[in-house]
Amino acid sequence: MRPSVIATDFVASIKTWSRSKGTLFWTLAFPIMLILIFGAIFSGIGETEYTLHIQDLDGSEMSRSFIESLNGTGAIKTKIVTSSENITSYIDENSIDRLVVIPKGYEETINKSFIDQNTSVNLSFYLDPGEQTSNQVVISVVSSVIQSFNMKLTGGRNIIGIEQISTIPEEFTFFDFFLPGMIGFTIMQTCVYGSIERNTKFRKDGILRKLLTTPITRTEWILSKMLFMLFLSFISTSLIIAVGIIVYGISVHITPLMIIIIIAASFLFSGLGMLIGRFVKDEETADTAGGAITFPMMFLAGTFFQLEMMPEFLQAFARVLPLYYVNEGLRNAMTYMNQSEAILNTIAVIIFASVFFIAGVLLTKWKED
Amino acid sequence: MIEKRFKCPDCGKVASHSGMPGEIKIIYCPYCGSKGRARLPELKHIEDLAIEVSGLRKIYGDLVAVNDISFSVKKGEIFAFLGPNGAGKTTTVEMIESIRQPTAGTIKLSGKDIKTHFNDIKKNIGVLPQEFHSFERLTVRETLVYFSKLYKKRADINKIIESMDLKSCEKTLYKNLSGGLRQRVGVAISLVNDPDIVFLDEPTTGLDPKARRDVWNVIAGLRDNGKTVFLTTHYMEEAEYLADHIAIIHRGKIIAEGSLNELIERYGHGSLLRIKRCKTDDAVKTLREKGFDASSEGNGNIAVKIDYKDRVLDVLSNLRHECIEYESIDIRRSNLEEIFLQLTGAKLTGEEIA
Ligand SMILES: Nc1ncnc2c1ncn2[C@@H]1O[C@H](COP(=O)(O)OP(=O)(O)OP(=O)(O)O)[C@@H](O)[C@H]1O
Ligand SMILES: [Mg+2]
Repeated sequence: MRPSVIATDFVASIKTWSRSKGTLFWTLAFPIMLILIFGAIFSGIGETEYTLHIQDLDGSEMSRSFIESLNGTGAIKTKIVTSSENITSYIDENSIDRLVVIPKGYEETINKSFIDQNTSVNLSFYLDPGEQTSNQVVISVVSSVIQSFNMKLTGGRNIIGIEQISTIPEEFTFFDFFLPGMIGFTIMQTCVYGSIERNTKFRKDGILRKLLTTPITRTEWILSKMLFMLFLSFISTSLIIAVGIIVYGISVHITPLMIIIIIAASFLFSGLGMLIGRFVKDEETADTAGGAITFPMMFLAGTFFQLEMMPEFLQAFARVLPLYYVNEGLRNAMTYMNQSEAILNTIAVIIFASVFFIAGVLLTKWKED
Repeated sequence: MIEKRFKCPDCGKVASHSGMPGEIKIIYCPYCGSKGRARLPELKHIEDLAIEVSGLRKIYGDLVAVNDISFSVKKGEIFAFLGPNGAGKTTTVEMIESIRQPTAGTIKLSGKDIKTHFNDIKKNIGVLPQEFHSFERLTVRETLVYFSKLYKKRADINKIIESMDLKSCEKTLYKNLSGGLRQRVGVAISLVNDPDIVFLDEPTTGLDPKARRDVWNVIAGLRDNGKTVFLTTHYMEEAEYLADHIAIIHRGKIIAEGSLNELIERYGHGSLLRIKRCKTDDAVKTLREKGFDASSEGNGNIAVKIDYKDRVLDVLSNLRHECIEYESIDIRRSNLEEIFLQLTGAKLTGEEIA
């Protein structure tokens, strides 16, 4: 094995790739477009009006007038939570983004403060940290209402304050679910079509035959191509993550397991592409066959929609699809942070990868008949 | 006695002369009569064989694609493997290149068996596969650099670009090249390791006459640089123009082999005199009575086989004697097309060659 030969072929692949508008589109622009389109569909609903849940434990004249003032701003809609509810479990169960608790003794403390300059009362503000932008809006509305209360009551001294509490939401946003799926899907597309091209177009064009008569070895050829596939996988992953962070403010964790899954998935889908290219000789037909395999897999393996939304038998079917484990593994490793599940998924992906890649290499016909 | 072909420096026509190996003699061009000195090559020895093929067979199911063929190619010559579509040319050449597995037979390149020494042999051969299409989005220079980096022994790419006349397109992407340029790049790629033997599988198929000539010149240049060229083609003109040695393959079998002159001498009928627009029945009858091999070709034309040139005058004077009028005559030497037709009863190619 000669590293210089691998480097030569790797560089040629990158040059070829970067010069083709078509492949640049499919590997870079298309996934981003999909994210933006799905983002617009799933997050554009009802965001002009912000809901703020309020639990009024005081139930006094003053607490009611505070709630009234919040409503009076027109910028937020308040919803009253009965005082008997346990707040933390209520937030969990109803996936509440923002909730303010007016403590018991609110009115009493304010009245006391006219005599004792040092007393003050804090409202508890529960916030989902994943909802950065809408939180900003609601916090500023609430703060300005508090500010005007402080003005009215004392002429500027802060009697009422806010104590911010971050909630840890059980429910993740759609993007925490969708982004890893998008990464899995993109790696699948890139690697399947990449290997189909090498095994059909390169064969038809005589490039494989030509290479058989040169000193490049099969190992060098496969290694350099896999290096290139990994390069593409990591480029698209980085882009998708960047868009997720910049546009949707999701929090992503780059973990070793995530890296392992991306590498294994690249081998897995390259192997799948080799198998398709092995049995369907004509390039166009092979592309169609590739679509016929990857397209249903994309839907069934829970890339865009949660598996639970599908009927039982489809859910069972999804569990034999390699993409399912790639998607779930990436979710558990990079957004849900579910280490033990992530390890199981990773093992599944590695097993699939070994089977597909080894079968792909062994069954590919390197020589002519 | 051996025979050697030469190209007349004055009129540019190709002719041949013969003599003893190593002999130096004065020769005359049979077309323009100009005179020159030439030396006949030394007799080739077995070490001088670039390719030795014996008992080669390839069977696909019921089809015997290559049927027990044997031949050898001398170092430094252009060897043309001439045959119609489906004759078994590519199958043969790709078995020699170790791309396909023979059903039976042995192949040696420069004396080494390809079964056991192919990794060694690879370094010294250059291959242009049939219908080769290189990486679309690399420039000509990048393509040559790419392939040359696969080898330890590398030829000077600048020199290749120059000798293949590719300077003006070295920065053009392969996909934007014309068919003729692509084939020239293909030949150039096969030279990046400075190989001893170059295999070109139908390098000019589908090219226009001008582009074909350009590729021919490039191939002729390879021989001048001491390379052995194994060329497959279904254009008889290509073989006539380029080859030192021709093997005609038909349905997997070599049906004739030799230099152009040997083939014409052995299988041709000398020259053909065609007499146009005459009373064919009378003319054929008259000439046959005088012992000529004449036949009607229809359309008022007759064809008469001529074994040496003075006989043309005999034919014409016989016709005049019988007062048989004609419009015009032409004389044509036998060519490979006719030899092929005669050997197989089939036409070599439907395509016109300029
Ligand atoms: N892989 C294969 N499987 C089955 N038959 C084959 C295969 N390759 C070639 N043949 C058959 O073998 C015969 C010889 O084919 P080959 O390609 O060697 O011909 P060729 O002389 O190169 O023709 P062409 O001028 O069309 O390139 C043909 O009848 C062809 O159909
Ligand atoms: Mg062929």
